[in-house]
Amino acid sequence: MSEKDGNGVSRRSFLAATGAVGVVGITGCLGGDTAITASGSNTVAPITQEAAESYQNTREDAFVDVSPEGTGAGFSDFCQGRSDIQSASRDITNDEIEDCDANGVDYSRYTVGLDGLAVVKNAENDWVDNITLDELRRIWEFESDVDRWSDVRDDWPDEEMSLTARDSASGTFDYFTENVVGERGDIRDDYSATSQTNEIMDAVASETHGFGWGGLGYAEAVIQDGGSLELVPVESDQDGEFYLPTEENVESGLYSPLARPLFFFVNHATLQDSPDLIGSFVRHYINNQDDFADAAGFFAAPDEEQNDNHGRFNEVLQSLGIEDEVSVEAQYY
Amino acid sequence: MTVEESENETILDRGVSYEDVRGRLFLAVCVAASFFGIAMLALLLWDVIATTYSAIFEFGVNPRDFLTQTSSRNVEKAGFYSAIVGSLWLMVIVSVIAFFVGVGTAVYLEEYAPDNRWTRLFEANLANLAGVPSVVYGLLVLGVVVNGAGIGPILLAGAVALALLIVPIIIVSSIEALRAVPDSVRQGSAAAGATKWQTIRNVVLPAAMPGIMTGTILALARAIGETAPLIMVGALFITTRTPGPFDRFGAMPTEIYTWAAQPERQFIAMAGFGILVLLVVLFSMQGLAVYVRRRYEVEFGE
Repeated sequence: MSEKDGNGVSRRSFLAATGAVGVVGITGCLGGDTAITASGSNTVAPITQEAAESYQNTREDAFVDVSPEGTGAGFSDFCQGRSDIQSASRDITNDEIEDCDANGVDYSRYTVGLDGLAVVKNAENDWVDNITLDELRRIWEFESDVDRWSDVRDDWPDEEMSLTARDSASGTFDYFTENVVGERGDIRDDYSATSQTNEIMDAVASETHGFGWGGLGYAEAVIQDGGSLELVPVESDQDGEFYLPTEENVESGLYSPLARPLFFFVNHATLQDSPDLIGSFVRHYINNQDDFADAAGFFAAPDEEQNDNHGRFNEVLQSLGIEDEVSVEAQYY
Repeated sequence: MTVEESENETILDRGVSYEDVRGRLFLAVCVAASFFGIAMLALLLWDVIATTYSAIFEFGVNPRDFLTQTSSRNVEKAGFYSAIVGSLWLMVIVSVIAFFVGVGTAVYLEEYAPDNRWTRLFEANLANLAGVPSVVYGLLVLGVVVNGAGIGPILLAGAVALALLIVPIIIVSSIEALRAVPDSVRQGSAAAGATKWQTIRNVVLPAAMPGIMTGTILALARAIGETAPLIMVGALFITTRTPGPFDRFGAMPTEIYTWAAQPERQFIAMAGFGILVLLVVLFSMQGLAVYVRRRYEVEFGE
């Protein structure tokens, strides 16, 4: 591990940078040499960042660089073998699997937490007590004919709704359209689309007829801050009752389909190259995943997921023959 | 006679007052237009200062810690220091790359290049290049330098993207500065027996330098606030360690961008504080540009 010396790397990268064509091949994996690189989702980035800082506190020589380019862009890096850890707010797609296969990148997937998608209204809105999945679909589907509250339910007021939600670049958008509207990317084209979940919450909090959806952590931050915002109980596809995205409801699986699992993926090739550095980080991440998810404003994954993560990682280490080289032990509950 | 006169007067009066109203209206529109920009700037400053105030007094952010700590996901431990250092490194490298490439091109085009169709095409394209959206330069560097040459998403790659962005601006302003040096000065130097190289080095460039410096500093001031190309190149989520030229990096604008998108309200307030720091740096650079122009300006009078 002594070749991970800062000066040596700087000199090499300097040569590459100044155009020494010969060292291009060697420096291709520079990022992986100096530190652990974590690409991927900007939703999951806070959890991975929590894990990274916690790991850096336990090991002076280790750095984890987290970059939040988004799940899709992150996978294109990860499947080129350019990152060690990939955070994802959705599962890997078939195209991405093919991409990874084509480049010979082996990987494994770990579930780190659950994200509740909150449906929000203004606090002065006293008519919406709950909402069904069918109503959500009718409001948000492409060429929706819903403009007024009375279009949704007859006894709601004849006032225009003001709709705000994420834009099509986000994994949250993909998830909502796929699981509520029915098809990924299928959405009405006359709502206010924004790339910042903060803006959704602020817009709904400042407009009596505001209505929208977005990550629960953002909604709760505004509510705690005294913003005029309330969560709407949503119909469950499990039992047809209405549930708020509380810790209990999300972790028991009743707040469905608006709770989604969050993942990270591990690149096996770079894991084998630096088994202790990367392997110990993965182990540290899984050991404390509930704390990290909680600190970043998400919910813990069910306990069996955590045990599955450890089991899966043990298998990976065994198949690579490096199970003795990882210094952090798994903690089972 | 008197009747005619009085009629003339009323017509004249009416005409004058009509034109007068139009004139006043025009003046009002112009004043409103110029106040629009000032009002927006004042609004921005007020908003940034109010947010900074809330960061310090509502959320208890200690300004000294803010300026000396590296960033973190833990809002209590997060500071702006690593992002400030990242931006300073970017400025140092960008100014070296962009100054030499920009001034070199300008000297060639203005002093050496023949005045033909190709030169004019080249100059016209420079103006187009200055209008290319910054995110495009980020993508270019991502493809060619970060992945193509394989140096990875390090600070140097971000500096290359920003340098590409401002090189056209520096070229155009340097060409203007070189053009402002009268030909009589060059001819005087040549008449004294100086070669072309000696003339450029000892006479033309020193005379044009205040203009070139002013243009360069203003271009750098634009580069320091750019977010999009750095995000494309691969800036970090949160800059937990202070970057050097060959490290993964974050800079002031990317750190502000990340903080502003966090759910925690304290991060959003700290983003406002960060904007204030960025603005102070920006205004100092603008001030420096004005100072350089005033202090070193050379007059070629009669």
